[in-house]
Amino acid sequence: MESLDALLKTAPTLVKGTSTLDELSEAEAELLGRRSLVAEFQRGIGRLPPEERPAVGKAIQEARRTLGKLIETQRRRLETETERLMLASDRVDVSLAALEYQEGYTHLITSTIEEVCDIFIGLGYRVVGGPEAESGLYNFDALNTPPTHPSRLESDTLYLDWGDPADDMLLRTHTSPMQARYMEEHDPPVYVVVPGKVYRADTPDATHSPVFHQIEGLAVDEGLTFSDLRGTLAYFAREFFGSERSIRMLPNFFPFTEPSAEMHASCFSCEGGGQCRVCGGVGWIELLGCGMVDPNVFEWVGYDPSKVSGFAFGMGVERIAQVRHGVSPLRHFFDNDLRVLSQFR
Amino acid sequence: MRVSLNWLADYIDLGTSDPEEIAQVLESLGHEVEETERLAPDFGRVVTARVLEVEAHPRADRIRVCRVTAGGEPQTVVCGAWNFEAGATVAWALPGATLSGGTEIGRRSIRGVESNGMICSETELGLGEDADGILVLDSEVPLGEDLAGFGSLTDTVLDLSITPNRPDVMSYVGVARELAAFYRVDYRVPEPVFAQVEARPRIGITIEDPTGCYRFVSREVSGCRVSASPFWMRTRLRASGQRPISNVVDITNYVLLELGQPIHAFDLEELGGEGIVVRRAHPGERLTTLDGVERDLTPADLVVADRHRASALAGTMGGGASEVTAKTTEVLIEAASWDPPTVLHMSKRHGLRTEASARFERGVDPALPPLAATRAAELVSTLAGGEALSEVTDVVAREDRLRPVTIDFELREAERILGPGFDAPRVTDLLSRLHLGTEGEDPVRVEVPTFRPDLTRPIDLVEELARLWGYNNFPERVPRGPGGGRSVSQRRTRTLRQALCGLGFSESVSLSFMRSSEIEIWGWEEEDERAREIRLKNPLREEESILRTTLLPGLLRVARYNYSHGLDELAVFELGRVFLDRPHRVLPKVPDQPERVGLLATGRLGGSGLGVERRPVDFYTVSAVWRAISHQLDLEGWRLEPVEAAGWHPARAARLLLDGEPVGIMGEVHPSVVRRAELIGRVIAMELDLDPLVADRRHWQFRAPSVFPPYTFDMAFEAPEDLAADDLLSATGEAAGDLLESARVFDEFRGEPLSRGRKSLAINYTLRAPDRTLSSEETAEALRSMADAARAAGAELRGEL
Repeated sequence: MESLDALLKTAPTLVKGTSTLDELSEAEAELLGRRSLVAEFQRGIGRLPPEERPAVGKAIQEARRTLGKLIETQRRRLETETERLMLASDRVDVSLAALEYQEGYTHLITSTIEEVCDIFIGLGYRVVGGPEAESGLYNFDALNTPPTHPSRLESDTLYLDWGDPADDMLLRTHTSPMQARYMEEHDPPVYVVVPGKVYRADTPDATHSPVFHQIEGLAVDEGLTFSDLRGTLAYFAREFFGSERSIRMLPNFFPFTEPSAEMHASCFSCEGGGQCRVCGGVGWIELLGCGMVDPNVFEWVGYDPSKVSGFAFGMGVERIAQVRHGVSPLRHFFDNDLRVLSQFR
Repeated sequence: MRVSLNWLADYIDLGTSDPEEIAQVLESLGHEVEETERLAPDFGRVVTARVLEVEAHPRADRIRVCRVTAGGEPQTVVCGAWNFEAGATVAWALPGATLSGGTEIGRRSIRGVESNGMICSETELGLGEDADGILVLDSEVPLGEDLAGFGSLTDTVLDLSITPNRPDVMSYVGVARELAAFYRVDYRVPEPVFAQVEARPRIGITIEDPTGCYRFVSREVSGCRVSASPFWMRTRLRASGQRPISNVVDITNYVLLELGQPIHAFDLEELGGEGIVVRRAHPGERLTTLDGVERDLTPADLVVADRHRASALAGTMGGGASEVTAKTTEVLIEAASWDPPTVLHMSKRHGLRTEASARFERGVDPALPPLAATRAAELVSTLAGGEALSEVTDVVAREDRLRPVTIDFELREAERILGPGFDAPRVTDLLSRLHLGTEGEDPVRVEVPTFRPDLTRPIDLVEELARLWGYNNFPERVPRGPGGGRSVSQRRTRTLRQALCGLGFSESVSLSFMRSSEIEIWGWEEEDERAREIRLKNPLREEESILRTTLLPGLLRVARYNYSHGLDELAVFELGRVFLDRPHRVLPKVPDQPERVGLLATGRLGGSGLGVERRPVDFYTVSAVWRAISHQLDLEGWRLEPVEAAGWHPARAARLLLDGEPVGIMGEVHPSVVRRAELIGRVIAMELDLDPLVADRRHWQFRAPSVFPPYTFDMAFEAPEDLAADDLLSATGEAAGDLLESARVFDEFRGEPLSRGRKSLAINYTLRAPDRTLSSEETAEALRSMADAARAAGAELRGEL
């Protein structure tokens, strides 16, 4: 039994002295293998007197456990170290872009439309679309635009050589025809936004395009007043351009709203004055045209203007995107240059 | 409308002289100030002086020697101008003076005569373009005054943009009237006072067309001398954006700007016959207008004519023959009221927009002509020295246009649109400040003066109340709608867009047009719907003359644009409408304009890395894109079948059928189209109708994943070339029945040892049961029936089971 104690004393030095898993296996064989001291004791147990056997057996088991634990601990240590060395040799240059996924980008016009629509969806609006090739009936007549109004002239509106000439087929000059189309089909309350392409007889240049995008908003309900229009537009301005924004409204003229207004938001880039890139130093940015729906429009669609009231607004998508991101000239929206597309998500 | 604040002060006393404040007030009233321009002379030491003597220069013919005084000792000044004589009041640049632009004036000898400074022209002082002679000032001007601080030369001009509904503001008096309403002060209208001669007018007036002409007022002034108008008038006109011409012409412009009533002056001697007739033009009639253009007239044109011929385009521009010239002595002043649409269409037709037509097309107060004609007569007789005839010819063809409109205004109209607070006192106060007559409490009977043709309905008054109350004085309130958000198809369209972006495609937005050269390269047959395009009636350019019938030309344009900027690998898509020559499926009277999704890619596509070659695009790329889309949109029940279509690769294009209905085409673009679009390599594209892709779909049902082990194996088949892989997959899949979990072709092979026209397809299958581990008997049975099904479809299993 003394030799067993001596073994337990010398074993830690032996085990901890191994530096590879192979060396450890050798040490394990020496300590616990068939030819080990422990194995010899085990075999000799039968020759002992019966009353000594339990004590010796127990001592052997304890020695086995102690040695086993010692070896296991060392094995884990050696395995960890081996892996550490292996991983260390697998070092990468973390700055190297060795793999790139091909990404696609949503067009700025689309992402702007989506964001504006999301803002109004939050206020309980519905998103609707409508035809771009439209009749004079909906583009003008329904919207209280007299037959002699200058916007109907060929110098302003693109007409189509299609259908009955009496229908004045044209490319819609604003998203407003959907006001009439939607109200014709639905009873109040109406809360809708209408994003889409609109067309004007303009040659492309820095600030004009024959095609651009608008988002129309229309709210018709009982008891809507000018304050609702103001509040809604101020809410939009704060959501889109930042919570610090205030708005101002200046009287303007549109055939299908009265009172009509132009809405400006306080500049998000300056405090007014100076040489601001965004507002030119005015401190205000012109954003959109709006107003209370003209009673003639309600009558045209069969609503009773003494029972309901409402407001409408129309904003240029390129305009607000241009203001926010500084995209200029306008052609960058339509050239689809990937170097431009990839700047926006 | 350019408004000089100096001139404006004639009509209103404002409590402020701060141009910024005035601009803000005007803007709050709806009159946008596009620009605030400060006018200030940039010359110095130039004084008013009188020329006492003018003598010939002893050694030069073209210049003269003047004796000039600014109130003190006369001095000698040499001058090269001839438009003045002794007694003239002039601008004298003293030695040491600076002229406009920085030229310094000294004392110098001109051909032996010492000149003490110089006598200035308008150009030298930066006041105008007239460089022919010196600036002759009005004779009443005191001498020795510093010209820079004189004559209203220091001024601020507000450039107003007046909305089309407010012709009444397109004048100084009109602007004063608006400001008067805001500031609660009075404004002044000129009250002409002048000597008149008792005499009958020589010219009678006949209105033959009361539709076009509501009223015609004329006054005659006899014995005028046409010359330059006084300096103060020239200064005012210039500040207001008008070029001074001669006193009579300047006066017509002056009255137009002052009152808003366009005035025309005729040389009475050049009007043939004794009468003026307002009539429509005769077919074939011609008129040379003041701008020297000979114009062909039509019966839609309204003219002012003498007995023989047209003398002026009504309300637009006068004719050259009766123009006031330096020789004119007898002047007929016209102030008329014209029908707005008639003038609008006439000026558009002739491409002739003038200060007069800009006002008439919006509507000029028909009450104005008598005052305006009299004001013009006053100015002509006092400034051009003529004798005004006392009798005024005033022909009214439309009495109805002179009657003020009355509106019964119920207060609840205001409350309904503007909210609470608009009670009788407030409403009455606001409306009367706007110079409207009010009577009674509720309804308020409102009398609208004729200068406000825009006010005809209660809602028009509501706007006036809001405008004067101040749009920015209303509280803010945010109403909430009932909801609705995006429809199913809008949400699924967004899913589609996001899927395409995730696959590496970028969204493009093109103009909705195509040009004929872009159509030709596709080689569509005439009856092809893509070749039956809708054309614009009034395109501005060839590029925007045809509505697109397909998204593909636009996508090719994008590829070409990027290629020419150095990018030969591109993947783009577009969502948008195309326009087809057939009726809309739902909406009456408009053409069909379905939304489509199109995509196009060139070069290589996919992730790239060190030592990783990206796959060049080909048919399999576009079909893989489609499969990914179909997964994202949960689309089942579709198949691709080969198609030969114009513009597409004859052997590498497929038609997509969804629930048996054709939805569009995808594949490789025909190499000849690629060449003609000036691109290189394989170009893949796809164009599908959007509606069927994003329509509401039955939601697929959850299948609990099996906890039992799969049985995975490969089978290789030898098949004829024309057996579609898809058909083999579905035949074998059907045979495997419910046990089939997945099947995927992992190898396609042609050539030895297969004979020509044969191919080998290797497929990896996974079978699995939801409720048990498959037994070897079950799997063997499944394999046998799959092989049998393949054989029935025309494919032989290679090797043994």
